[in-house]
Amino acid sequence: MTSSSGQNYWMSIDSLGDQSLETPQSESPDGSQPVSPESDSGWSRRSFLRAAGFGGAGAVVAGCSPAPIKKAIPFLVQPEEIVPGRAYYYASTCAGCSAGCGMMVKNRDGRPIKLEGFRGAGGTMDRSHPVSGGGLCSVGQASLLGLYDSKRFKNPQLKGKDSDYSKIDAELSSRFAAGKIWVLTATITSPSTRRRLEQFLAKHPGSEHVVYDEQSCSALLDAHDRAFGQRVLPRYRFERADVIVGVGCDFLGTWVSPVEFAAGYAKGREKNAGETAWHAQVEGTMSLTGTKADLRVVKTEREQIRLIGTLAGMLARRAGVSPPQGLPNAKPDANLKSLEAKLWGARGKSIVVSGVQHAGTQVAVAFINDLLGNYGQTLDIESPSFQRQGDDHGIQRLTSAMAAGGVETLIIHDLNPLYDLPDAAGFAKAMKSVGTVISTSSAPNETSAAATVICPEPHFLERWDDAIPVKGALCLTQPAISTTTLFKTRSFRDSLAAWAGDKTDDLAFRKAHLSKTVDWRAASHANFESFWSAAVHDGVVEMPSKVAPLGKFKSTALKGLSWPSAQAADGFEVILNEKVGMPSGRHAHNAWLQELPDPITKMSWGNAALFGVAAAAELRISDGDIVAIRTKDLVIEIPAKAQPGQHDDVISIAIGYGRSGTERFAKVGPDWIEARPTVAADGVVGVNAAPLAVWEDGLLRRTRMVTVEKTGRHIDFALSQTYDSIDLPANTAPGEDRRRNIVHETTTGALAAKGCDDHARHRGDVDLWTDDHANNLPHWGMAIDLNRCTGCSACVVACQVENNIPVVGHDEVRRRRDMHWIRIDRYYSGDPEKPEDVDVIHQPMMCHHCDNAPCETVCPVLATVHSEEGLNQQVYNRCVGTRYCANNCPYKVRRFNWFDYSREDRLQNMVLNPDIAVRSRGVMEKCSFCVQRIQAAKNESKRTGVEIFDGQIQPACVQTCPTEAIVFGDVKKADSAITKANADPLHFKVLEELNVKPSVGYRTLVRNRKVKGE
Amino acid sequence: MHDDTITPPLILGGKSNRDVTNDIAAPLERNPGQMWWIAFIISFSVMMLGVVAVWYQIATGIGTWGLNKTVGWAFDITNFVFWVGIGHAGTLISAILFLLRQKWRTSMNRAAEAMTLIAVICAGLFPVIHMGRPWLAYWVFPYPNMRGPLWVNFRSPLLWDVFAIGTYFTISAVFWYVGLIPDLATMRDRAKTVFRKTLYRVMSLGWSGSQRTWWRYEVVYLLLASLATPLVVSVHSVVSFDFATAMVPGWHTTIFPPYFVIGAIFSGFAMVMSLMLIARSALDFGAYITQRHVDAVCRVIVFGSCIVGFAYSTELFIAWYSGNEFEQFAFLNRVRGPMSWAYFIMVSCNVVIPQLLWSQRVRNSALLVFIITIAVNIGMWFERFVIIVTSIHRDFLPSSWADYTPTLVEFATLIGSFGLFFTLFLLFCRLFPFIAASEVKAILPRDTEGVH
Repeated sequence: MTSSSGQNYWMSIDSLGDQSLETPQSESPDGSQPVSPESDSGWSRRSFLRAAGFGGAGAVVAGCSPAPIKKAIPFLVQPEEIVPGRAYYYASTCAGCSAGCGMMVKNRDGRPIKLEGFRGAGGTMDRSHPVSGGGLCSVGQASLLGLYDSKRFKNPQLKGKDSDYSKIDAELSSRFAAGKIWVLTATITSPSTRRRLEQFLAKHPGSEHVVYDEQSCSALLDAHDRAFGQRVLPRYRFERADVIVGVGCDFLGTWVSPVEFAAGYAKGREKNAGETAWHAQVEGTMSLTGTKADLRVVKTEREQIRLIGTLAGMLARRAGVSPPQGLPNAKPDANLKSLEAKLWGARGKSIVVSGVQHAGTQVAVAFINDLLGNYGQTLDIESPSFQRQGDDHGIQRLTSAMAAGGVETLIIHDLNPLYDLPDAAGFAKAMKSVGTVISTSSAPNETSAAATVICPEPHFLERWDDAIPVKGALCLTQPAISTTTLFKTRSFRDSLAAWAGDKTDDLAFRKAHLSKTVDWRAASHANFESFWSAAVHDGVVEMPSKVAPLGKFKSTALKGLSWPSAQAADGFEVILNEKVGMPSGRHAHNAWLQELPDPITKMSWGNAALFGVAAAAELRISDGDIVAIRTKDLVIEIPAKAQPGQHDDVISIAIGYGRSGTERFAKVGPDWIEARPTVAADGVVGVNAAPLAVWEDGLLRRTRMVTVEKTGRHIDFALSQTYDSIDLPANTAPGEDRRRNIVHETTTGALAAKGCDDHARHRGDVDLWTDDHANNLPHWGMAIDLNRCTGCSACVVACQVENNIPVVGHDEVRRRRDMHWIRIDRYYSGDPEKPEDVDVIHQPMMCHHCDNAPCETVCPVLATVHSEEGLNQQVYNRCVGTRYCANNCPYKVRRFNWFDYSREDRLQNMVLNPDIAVRSRGVMEKCSFCVQRIQAAKNESKRTGVEIFDGQIQPACVQTCPTEAIVFGDVKKADSAITKANADPLHFKVLEELNVKPSVGYRTLVRNRKVKGE
Repeated sequence: MHDDTITPPLILGGKSNRDVTNDIAAPLERNPGQMWWIAFIISFSVMMLGVVAVWYQIATGIGTWGLNKTVGWAFDITNFVFWVGIGHAGTLISAILFLLRQKWRTSMNRAAEAMTLIAVICAGLFPVIHMGRPWLAYWVFPYPNMRGPLWVNFRSPLLWDVFAIGTYFTISAVFWYVGLIPDLATMRDRAKTVFRKTLYRVMSLGWSGSQRTWWRYEVVYLLLASLATPLVVSVHSVVSFDFATAMVPGWHTTIFPPYFVIGAIFSGFAMVMSLMLIARSALDFGAYITQRHVDAVCRVIVFGSCIVGFAYSTELFIAWYSGNEFEQFAFLNRVRGPMSWAYFIMVSCNVVIPQLLWSQRVRNSALLVFIITIAVNIGMWFERFVIIVTSIHRDFLPSSWADYTPTLVEFATLIGSFGLFFTLFLLFCRLFPFIAASEVKAILPRDTEGVH
């Protein structure tokens, strides 16, 4: 409103009135003039353009945003602890299985986004959990996704319809009175839940409680009952053992408490220089545990049983005890003699452990351990394990009771018997006579479909719980999100309380019960309150316990046991095994676990009937051919695959597949013209092999004789590795020695004879280039101990969760487009047709953050660059997707976003890590050494002024590793763990000759043997 | 100069200057025939198939190609290198043969240059569509921006490609167009309709045909020829750097620059020959594209074949001689691995079959020559496929070895690029004089020379 003459005109009375207000504003209090030239004017050309530009841009932005936020409600009351954008960690206990591993729950803005291995209180990095140390397995890592499972029951259900708890409780109170109640649960390690259950059972006289584990250890428990009069599971202290003999027992992968066992095993394998535990594995197929064995004895399960019997006799004679009558007595071969000699030489320092569900075997194993004096030494009975309590006899009693019509109400908690029982159909039929079936399943499954009432159990991140997985360790679970935030769930304990009519608050109840039953004074606390708050804060309390030692081995225990005949029956012996990451059907709804490649077969999204290599060749079965597995009463059609290291008379099939509810994965993965669905129409993921199990002597035997026929049909597996051998193909290998030197491997014998080939010696001797990264900043590096690595793949899932890595589905994995940033290369060496000759190597492989990175030079747009701290950084925003970097990467660790991967499940997106971008289509990505964690630590250090200490920064893979196989740190620090690891003469870099100068190195794999087969 | 009594003249039929003008302008001045329409409709449809495929791929993702985490390039870069290679013959014929005063080039240089341009257009498509985010393709240009230090990476061979291809396209286009000007002026002078007159007047840039114009024209043409000559060598050398500077065994090879250049000339000449043989019969240019031309091109092809064969054996020898296990494996894998079939297609089409051209009887048969040149084109496509795919599908870590299976989208894109090529080439035949009339006139056998 300024005319050219400078005279101000008013346009209206209103604007005239404003003048008086405007005038003083245009002058600063100090009398100086504002900088803006149009400060005293209204609309100048410039301000018009500015406003028009802003308005236009604003309109464009508004027009482009997909959906306006309709409701954004701020916290009325800011939660006391929560600072937006800051992560909080709560100590808790994992309930992915019954092992009771400790964990830290990472919470951001009120929602759990990551589960971590346990760390000691007070910001220390102590891996001090009494059960799990500091590791968390793949299942534990992935179980977070179960929280955000949108297919969970949103409400309790009564007769298939949504209902509420008051109605259900009212309905049930009359039904409970109607007749006998049976409660079927999995192992309950929670003392307060047990107490509630006891109260409930007491309230309803005549009711029964049956415990059943889908991964049953019933025979082992029974054997201790029979031999010592106590039905206990000893704690296996692998760290104390010099000789370990596993018989049909995947204790590193799936058996009872794999994180605990793997941690102990790794410690035991790393004694003083040159001394390492010796491990022999007797098994029918290649298990994760078998891959680590120094001696693999490949036997069918029948032969395993006879071997144990024979070994018991041999050791008895050696000990001067007359061997019990009736034991099998095979002619000992070299392997058996070697086992006997090694075990006898390590009395009190050995472990014989078997997972075979056969009464005689387990009694014989107990006998052997007793002979060797292992009880009280390597088999801890001071603090026995409660991780498995199931009794196979119980569920058979229940089935017959139901069939006889004597069960009015059946409460099924934490189990899915209609899926995992061998005679699920029979159980279902018997269940029809039950008046009321109550299921606490949190998501629909086979059993909940047949239930009258569903009281969905909250996820373990939503509820309070306690557990005593091993004697003397009280582990607490605290909710990281409230029970009713997502869905209307109610814990089993609360349900029991409601049904028992007990109105005591759960917290008060738990505290009252624990203060009475737990020896909290032993944990040196003045009063229970201080004990309680310490326990909640730390997540776990250890209390020295006093337990009466086991009695003497009852010599009668070995009498009257049945042993299989020396003569094999016709056909194949099927052995149902468990896959790492999918040990039972319990987590079949978990896409992360479905996509996780099995560490042995490298197969995701499904299971297969595994055959010995020679057997498959003889039957002319190639991988993916569907075969019919026949017994006299059933046929199972399942694709077949050859498995090196497996007995030729054995077919092994993983259980945990073919679960109902996995139809949901039909849409997983991109949709395009040549896409194949992850799950075929009306199908499920994999094939359920549970019906192949049998009841034998009251025990669930996971083996039986079958015949095999080809069906002529074929499917393609989703394999993340298709060339399996460390040796090059014979026709394209340049020389006689077909082995590529990418994994250094030696034996203790060779090391003792020749010393190690010191690969570090000449490293960096000659370099034509000047150091162009000279600075005082840290240089991050990683070292992986191949002896400690068991291949368990916990790191793979941990990385997936931490870094928002998408799930791509069967078809994309099949097309070799899996997105995992860390993979575990699995190589076989030896003659695949000779099962005992096969050795396995696990080599975790992720971005090597090369100092001379081949990927960096070739990117035309500088989307991948080197940081001053030695990190190879990928700039997603800058990437145009030429894939040249991936082609030029010798380690092939770069992952390309071939499609926009589906993120349509809003609830599931809650799991995304807000520190990490979700990558769009057409962009390259790869391991960043968890740069967000490095950055967080640096910020923290800057804020507090406390220098980052060695080991403070732990990438997700390092953090979760049960065996501490991965070391991460600053290679420039003289005393850091990584510097020490790099200086180890056994340290090597993969493809060092390329001079890409990788920041990741490995420790040579040392097998404890003089020569193969020793 | 040669002796006309021994060597037949370059242009047969005793054509006069007027005849030449009439002959060459004829296809442009009559309505397109049935054959042209059929060819055009087929080419255009095939091109549209490619357009749909590329559209689908850009809309959906690179995942619609059969690539995987191990094999990051396959059809895309194979097609790119193939088309760039095809282009080379045009520049070689027009520039190098011009400088070498090879007068037989005049019957073919126009079409060959047009082929170059069109092939480079086809080639240029692939680096763009092979990107995961092609809409950001402009980021590979070093334009001034406000992204701070974030610019292009001058160490990346892909960036060198941008410059090499850009320069090549520019120079080739200018060279081709400058050569066209006198003929466009002729077309202008012959034009009967206003539209044609205006079109050709604009395009002929005011050509007057004066002595001075001709003199300037010749100088510019000579200069451009000299400028274009190094490009013949440089472009494919730079393209070969995409592989030679990478560290993948089978790519990381010092022989690649000359190997690629000769391969490009080889495939380019084969493509020129295929096109010339079609044009000769379709456009009735038998008098201009004579057996002498066919012979000359065939000799170049045989020469190229021998050099390419030599390069293949050198690669194998060096792999053996290097003592490098990865290098040795890469080549054994090429010859005997799961994709050895591609290697054998390559060797038989590039090394074995072209040897037939030593025989004059084979060279005299247009059909046989045509078949052989098509075989060479197939073989040269496979050469690039073999280099790219068989090297990366099995490189350092056996755990990552993977097979590659192309998808329908990739096939459609490959075929579509041929559709684009032929569509543009057919349009060129209709729009511009197919043969450089002004140059041909300069080499007509003169009566005075012929008689005495």
